[in-house]
Amino acid sequence: MIELETTEAGPSRRQFLQGTGAAVTATALTGFAASDTPAAELQPGGGGPVPAVGPGAAKITLNVNGRDVQTSVEPRVTLLDALRNYLDVTGCKRVCDRATCGACTVMLDGKVVYSCTMLAIEAQGKAIRTAESLYNDGKADAIPVAFARTDAQQCGFCTPGFVVAMKAVLEANPQATPAEVERGLQGNICRCGTYEQMRDAIYSLCNTKRGN
Amino acid sequence: MPWPVTRRLIGTRIQRLDGIEKATGRAKYSFDINRPRMLHARILRSPHAHATIKTIDTAAAEKTAGFRGIYLIKKAGAELFFAGDEIVAICADTEEHAEDCLRAIRVEYNVQQHVVKEADSLTAQTNVTGGLGANNIVAAGDFATDNFDTVAFQGAAATHEASYGIAVISHQCLESHGLVAEWDAKQENLTVWASTQAVPNTAEGLRVHFKLKPGEVTCICNYMGGGFGSKFGPDIQGIAAAELARSTRQPVKLMLDRAEEVTVGGIRPSAYGTVKIGGTKEGRLTGYEVDCYGTGGVNRGPTVNFGLLPYVYGPSIPNIKRRHRVVRTNIQTARAMRAPGHPQNAILTEQALDDLAARLNVNPMTLRLANLPPNDMAERQANPRTFPGQRADIYRTEIAIIRKMCGWDQAWHAPGQGGKGTIKTGLGMALHTWGGGGRGPNPTRVTINADGTVVAQSSSQDLGTAHRTVMAIIVAEILGLQPTDITCIIGNSQHGPSTPSGGSTTCPGTSPAILKAVELAAEAMLTALAGRLNVQRNQLSIAPGVVVNAANNQRIPFRDACRQMGVPNVQANGDWPVQKDLQSNAVLREEWTTRLTNQGVGGVQIAEVKVDTETGVVRCSRFWTVQDCGLIINKLACESQVAGGIIMGLNYALYEECIYDRQTGRQVNPDMEFYKLGGIADMPNIYVHMHDMPERGVIGIGEPPTIGTAAAVGNAIFNAIGARVSHAPFTPERVLAALASRKPGNP
Repeated sequence: MIELETTEAGPSRRQFLQGTGAAVTATALTGFAASDTPAAELQPGGGGPVPAVGPGAAKITLNVNGRDVQTSVEPRVTLLDALRNYLDVTGCKRVCDRATCGACTVMLDGKVVYSCTMLAIEAQGKAIRTAESLYNDGKADAIPVAFARTDAQQCGFCTPGFVVAMKAVLEANPQATPAEVERGLQGNICRCGTYEQMRDAIYSLCNTKRGN
Repeated sequence: MPWPVTRRLIGTRIQRLDGIEKATGRAKYSFDINRPRMLHARILRSPHAHATIKTIDTAAAEKTAGFRGIYLIKKAGAELFFAGDEIVAICADTEEHAEDCLRAIRVEYNVQQHVVKEADSLTAQTNVTGGLGANNIVAAGDFATDNFDTVAFQGAAATHEASYGIAVISHQCLESHGLVAEWDAKQENLTVWASTQAVPNTAEGLRVHFKLKPGEVTCICNYMGGGFGSKFGPDIQGIAAAELARSTRQPVKLMLDRAEEVTVGGIRPSAYGTVKIGGTKEGRLTGYEVDCYGTGGVNRGPTVNFGLLPYVYGPSIPNIKRRHRVVRTNIQTARAMRAPGHPQNAILTEQALDDLAARLNVNPMTLRLANLPPNDMAERQANPRTFPGQRADIYRTEIAIIRKMCGWDQAWHAPGQGGKGTIKTGLGMALHTWGGGGRGPNPTRVTINADGTVVAQSSSQDLGTAHRTVMAIIVAEILGLQPTDITCIIGNSQHGPSTPSGGSTTCPGTSPAILKAVELAAEAMLTALAGRLNVQRNQLSIAPGVVVNAANNQRIPFRDACRQMGVPNVQANGDWPVQKDLQSNAVLREEWTTRLTNQGVGGVQIAEVKVDTETGVVRCSRFWTVQDCGLIINKLACESQVAGGIIMGLNYALYEECIYDRQTGRQVNPDMEFYKLGGIADMPNIYVHMHDMPERGVIGIGEPPTIGTAAAVGNAIFNAIGARVSHAPFTPERVLAALASRKPGNP
């Protein structure tokens, strides 16, 4: 587990460059680019200690769907790729890989993030929840149930992202109106075009009758 | 073996069997398959739109950390035809290392002249793109009815000549193309988990490449994330992955990244054309002339459906002239995309119709009703269930329904009368047609076990159409069960042949085979049971949840009946008659191709748009459609297909275009941030009315609903602002340009 120590104002750009620069140099000298180097080495910087990780793989601990899991990834590995390639948590999908389509949406301490655009090492110490968390002991959460009942999915590749996004909206505000829930889905794209059925799902979850 | 006359499940709204698995992320797509010791592969691609390879140096890559294997797709001297053309595949222990290896490969190119814009290619004097032929232009059709030039517009009260077009777009499958390949220990049998619309075809493509025996390649596709016509075989990346898996003796995953998916994973060809159309003051079309061109890469064929131009109304237009040219460009080769050629045809026909209606001062719905393709009376006499035999009736009925649905008579106004404010409202319509017939082989096996479980199995695939659920509905209907009682196992090439899922053929191609299999299985079950109960076979019948024994009026619960069969299970295979018998046996042919299944559908769509005349932004505010597809199996999934097709159409009406840079020859938007796709907030409420025609048997529904959408939107914009935006996508810039060029009076 890497503790990111920062000053109150956060690490300065100068600190950051010094930190990474030192780490790169050390790696080049020791030639351990691909091996499991210790997770963090605190490098002295101008304004206090800042962490340096990598570029080789580092041990990290992620809290995924309520469980702490360890793996070893290079710092450049995104949260999405760590989940999919290193932890076999594949409900979050890689589609655009550029924070546009929302297929990789996960919850981080209850807030939605595009896991393709966050580094895995940054997600340590936070509660990560994927669509898989919405199925427990043979029972699915009300949101995937509503998606299935209204057929708000075709190929389904985007669906876990939509489901997580909707879960986050309704968890933050259980009284959300259909319009508010729909607004929460605007960061997600469905190529099969199941938005019409998603609206049916939204209205059923909001216990609101859908008019014209 | 007809469809049941009273249907308990078929045609109702049934939830898909795997909905919860997909929505909770537990469904494992090919992209999600992680095998022990699996390596990750990437492909080095040409940065140039047209070049030959001078040298390839992989020495540094092979020394890069994590490197495991390399596969040369092209050798020095090979010609590269577009930016993205494959050169080398490498694999490494992690995806990150695979990226490093890729960056370490050095390739020298002889860069050649390229062309990526249709208009540039049209004017080029020589074949600058490479590929076959002396120049860039390939004649792709030239046709005229007799004396067209003298008679076509005689007696026309008005004619209209204008240009229309639609850009190259990308399939943008959310699950990219690719597969995971794994050989067995002896390197004799290959298993791939592929994202594919054609499970057996994908296995066969690899079998041929590796010169293996039948059955030695297994293709598995349990779930797949969209294909839209672009995923029918292993492709180069699939072959590369399997080659690397063989040389490294480790499983290899090779899925395209987004830029690759957009630049090599499939495009739909463009179509641009000049159309002249004329009609009498009564609104009868006298002549239609089109000169059109489009591109689909270096060596792709026609970009429109030439024989069906003018679209839909062809049979009622006496004089027709058409010319089509394909222009080569240095972009990826086009692939089939949802109703190939038809959306382009609709763009080149339906919009010209509305422009003529404006000149004739008639309501465009009236003009369409006056020019519907007539019922083909010879067809009608031979078999009243064919589409040509009743097409005018179908369109007329559907137009009557949609006219009420959208309040056309109250809401439609003359072009340009879209309101007083800066936001103008308009309505536009379009018709479409598609085949949607299916064929065999689609062998299906139904097993009824002594413990009461039922398993249906085939090699076919579920693209998101809820195909598993189609199987379950038919099997459950016949056995008196619920769809959730049926276990459906699909997506494995070892289950026998099946037809690729393209052209709206899966439901019609598989459903009669499923019906036959379950009827034979039910028969075997009841025969076994009759023996055990010492009654005549005909004393037993199936009712919901039970087997009824007429000898003693006993109603045996289905599970108990299975237990009493006296055998571990009964099993039956069902499939289409072989092609030879279908052709030679008229009774068989009629049963299978005009009663159990059929082909040919109509459909009508109407868009309502709001056009902001200050910004040029178009918003589709409401959308209506009436659609037939014979006997509907699952109304819930069917309505979803229709609404989804419309949303795809709205996307390419308003947002989608592959934009290529003239200088570099590269696509500037191989992504999802500048290649625009609408989100939920961009899409209107969509009102779908299925015009059920159960007597026609099962017909596919995937393609039809996306065909006319963009043309309907184009017509709605024209209706709102009184100016024609000639090319889709109808972007704000183009809308503003059209407004600026608007002339007083008629458009």
